Amino acid sequence: MGDFWRGLLATLPLVPGVVAFGLLYGMMARQVGFSPWEAWAMSLIVHAGSAQFTALAMWQTADAVPIILTTLVINLRHILMGASVAPYLRGLSPLWRAFLALWMSDESYALAIAEYEQGRGNHHHFLGTNVGIYLAWPTSGLLGALLGAAIPEPRRYGLDLVFPLGFLGLLMTFLKDRTGAFVALVAGGVALLGTYLLPGKWVIIIAGLLGSGLGLLLEEIGGRWGNP
Amino acid sequence: MGKPLIFFGMALATYFTRYAMIAVLDRELPPLLRRWLRHVPPAMLAALVVPAALAPQGRLQVDTHTWAVLVGAVLAWRTRSVLWTILGGIAAFWMLSLVGL
Repeated sequence: MGDFWRGLLATLPLVPGVVAFGLLYGMMARQVGFSPWEAWAMSLIVHAGSAQFTALAMWQTADAVPIILTTLVINLRHILMGASVAPYLRGLSPLWRAFLALWMSDESYALAIAEYEQGRGNHHHFLGTNVGIYLAWPTSGLLGALLGAAIPEPRRYGLDLVFPLGFLGLLMTFLKDRTGAFVALVAGGVALLGTYLLPGKWVIIIAGLLGSGLGLLLEEIGGRWGNP
Repeated sequence: MGKPLIFFGMALATYFTRYAMIAVLDRELPPLLRRWLRHVPPAMLAALVVPAALAPQGRLQVDTHTWAVLVGAVLAWRTRSVLWTILGGIAAFWMLSLVGL
């Protein structure tokens, strides 16, 4: 079996998770007024789950610029992923490297880097994991949007809760220590206060930068106290 | 601005973050930047979820939705599972609505 297919098959255990989020995304896209095709197009073009959920949450109140900037900030974590996988891509042509970056998702990156670190990875395998996730994400988004069109009053059934609940679950996966909890409390508190003071959705970026900045500061000071 | 333009803008922003370090290959990220980047996702998610949960219309409000989200927060904390958080939170909403809270 070729390495491409090995990578593609490796995504199978992760596909149910991607599909669940894709269905959710599609239904939420309907709620903010996207047609199923628009929901599909966004997934095909952007291919970044958390950023797309965020964009939907901001859609009715924010303009293009805050939405695109928030996308940038949310996806900053990809810089870390890129940095960790880059040494393994050294021998590849620029075209291959540019193409592997295009569909690198959290899931495909995780599968590929695990394989690279065990010495079995290569670019065909990485491409396979990228393609596997890229096939599942837009398709399930389209399905979710078509399903969403069939449920007339999602708010009556509490289905609009999917957004805050889904993000709460995601947030917890990132909270690994006390600094993380502090960062989340600061950012959440500032965002709540900010909704009273600031128009639009700039407050999300400001609160995110402030929370993460204070977390870094706390760590730096703590580190210095720990090692005099 | 129309939807396609926003989609492509978002795609460009996303691609920049994915490609930046792969393009420059032999550069290392400064350690301070690396440590800061680790804190960005929890900060952004918290900044999104807190107003959406407690002040969906821009003002603090306490109703069935709020209680259901609080149930979800406890579930998220105890189970660390996105699926259980969503299912449990929505189930709580149904039960609270039945009781008339």
